[in-house]
Amino acid sequence: MKKFWKNVLVFSVLAVTVPLIVLLLIRLTPKPPVGEMEHARQTLSKAVTSKADTYSKKLFNQAKVNYDSAMVNWQRENKKFIYLRDYEKVIMFAELSAKKAGQATENSISSTSNLKIKLKQEIGLLNNLVSEIDALFTTYPLSAEIRNRISKGKMILEEAQIAYEKGQYIQANRKTTDSEYLLTSSYENASANLKNYFKSYTVWKKWADKTINESKKNSDYSIIIDKFSRKFFIYQAGSKKYEFEAELGKNWVGDKRVKGDLATPEGMYKITKKIDRNRTKYYKALLLDYPNEEDKEKFRSEIALGSLPRTAKIGGLIEIHGDGGKGVDWTEGCVALTDKEMDVVFRIAKVGTPVTIVGSMVDLENVMSR
Amino acid sequence: MKNKVLMGLAAIVMVAVLSSCGKKPQVEIDATNAAIEAAKTAEAAVYVPAEFAAVQDSMTAIMADVAAQESKLFKKFGPAKLKLDATLALANQVAANAAVKKEEVKKEVETLLTEIKAVIEENTTLMKKAPRGKEGAAVLEQIKTEMVTIEASVVEAQGLYDKGTYMDADNKVKAAKERAVGINTELKEAIAKVKGRK
Repeated sequence: MKKFWKNVLVFSVLAVTVPLIVLLLIRLTPKPPVGEMEHARQTLSKAVTSKADTYSKKLFNQAKVNYDSAMVNWQRENKKFIYLRDYEKVIMFAELSAKKAGQATENSISSTSNLKIKLKQEIGLLNNLVSEIDALFTTYPLSAEIRNRISKGKMILEEAQIAYEKGQYIQANRKTTDSEYLLTSSYENASANLKNYFKSYTVWKKWADKTINESKKNSDYSIIIDKFSRKFFIYQAGSKKYEFEAELGKNWVGDKRVKGDLATPEGMYKITKKIDRNRTKYYKALLLDYPNEEDKEKFRSEIALGSLPRTAKIGGLIEIHGDGGKGVDWTEGCVALTDKEMDVVFRIAKVGTPVTIVGSMVDLENVMSR
Repeated sequence: MKNKVLMGLAAIVMVAVLSSCGKKPQVEIDATNAAIEAAKTAEAAVYVPAEFAAVQDSMTAIMADVAAQESKLFKKFGPAKLKLDATLALANQVAANAAVKKEEVKKEVETLLTEIKAVIEENTTLMKKAPRGKEGAAVLEQIKTEMVTIEASVVEAQGLYDKGTYMDADNKVKAAKERAVGINTELKEAIAKVKGRK
């Protein structure tokens, strides 16, 4: 009987102490960083959703590296004897990861929003630039290289717009930068060329005014050709009577310098000969007194300065003739009109009628703002 | 005395059994990682980025779960195993979805390439009929330059298509088509205007 009570006592003691020891063992186990790691993971996931891996790459990568370090350290600690584990480093990395991921998310949201605004503005500005280029330079003889660059710039701008609409802002940004480079450099090049062309505007204006005044004074006809706008004006007694579209030499920009340069000369000329339809291949023609004394003087000084070779020839046979209406500058330096317009000019013109050819009758500022 | 020793041993065995009853599901982890890698190879990040990110996030969460169980005295990997099975299935599904989406984009690029080639051909025919009077010829010269750029862009898009980078090819061919259609409209309007005058 005594033995029975002894066994009961032993079992009772064991029944109390064993669970107590187990409980104590559990209680003494170091607490794993589950909460901290979960927080870090969720913050990283949020960063991915906000595309921080694209728009805040550096911060996102730092967050990712810190998370991976936390995991590596956690696994390393797990290999140690349970009561010797220390998760402090794991928690430190997890907190750092969450912090960086949070920053990456904020940064990404703000960068995306800023980039979106910036792109919208840039695409708008580039579209305006394209319109300006089209308005100014469609008929201006730009080099093939510049034309190609403009065309390529327009195409890349289109690609940028498509990427922008798809929300691919990084690609859109890259395309916008490429397009901007091509379009801006081409525009600057073409504008510099245009500015250089308009350097003589004050002289042109003087010639045009003088021609109109003479027409008024003599109550007679005078002709003014505006190369830039390709307009052919006939004045009668100081008033504009007719306005036609003119076609010029293939290289109409700038004054004629030498034979074969395909440029239409600029200056104050007079009709020296009327050539009827069976004596010219261009329907009817009016021969001008190019080169005049001023042209000859200029040519001689260019030869003397060495800007033209000694073997160069000044050229001649600049006419106003028919066979025009092709819509493109095709002559070798002459001014072409349609046959119908040529009939009008031929009827009113006589030997001695003044023909003034100017680069433009409108100044560059007005041309650019048109 | 003998009884006490036996009971002590029994307690130790019980603790040992309880603390090691769960074994890390390494086979399932490896299988799921392989499925995720396969989805990556199928360009899931390009064609179904949100779905792929979800799979990756799910795996990250599971690995944290596994580490948490490994930290415990009494490990229990059963729920993690179930999650791994689900994630593996999801990764396979994402890989399949990526393949479907890729095929869709591929088909779209093919259609666009066929369409743009037809528009380019039509533009070449229209160029011959386009009016050349007034500023027409100068504009046509500009259009010619633009058509050369469009054709070069189509060649680039075809190259991207041949390389299998369908998303990039898609953007390029769409831009080229936009411009080609613009020219087509411009030419048709110019021709119609002239016809209207006659």
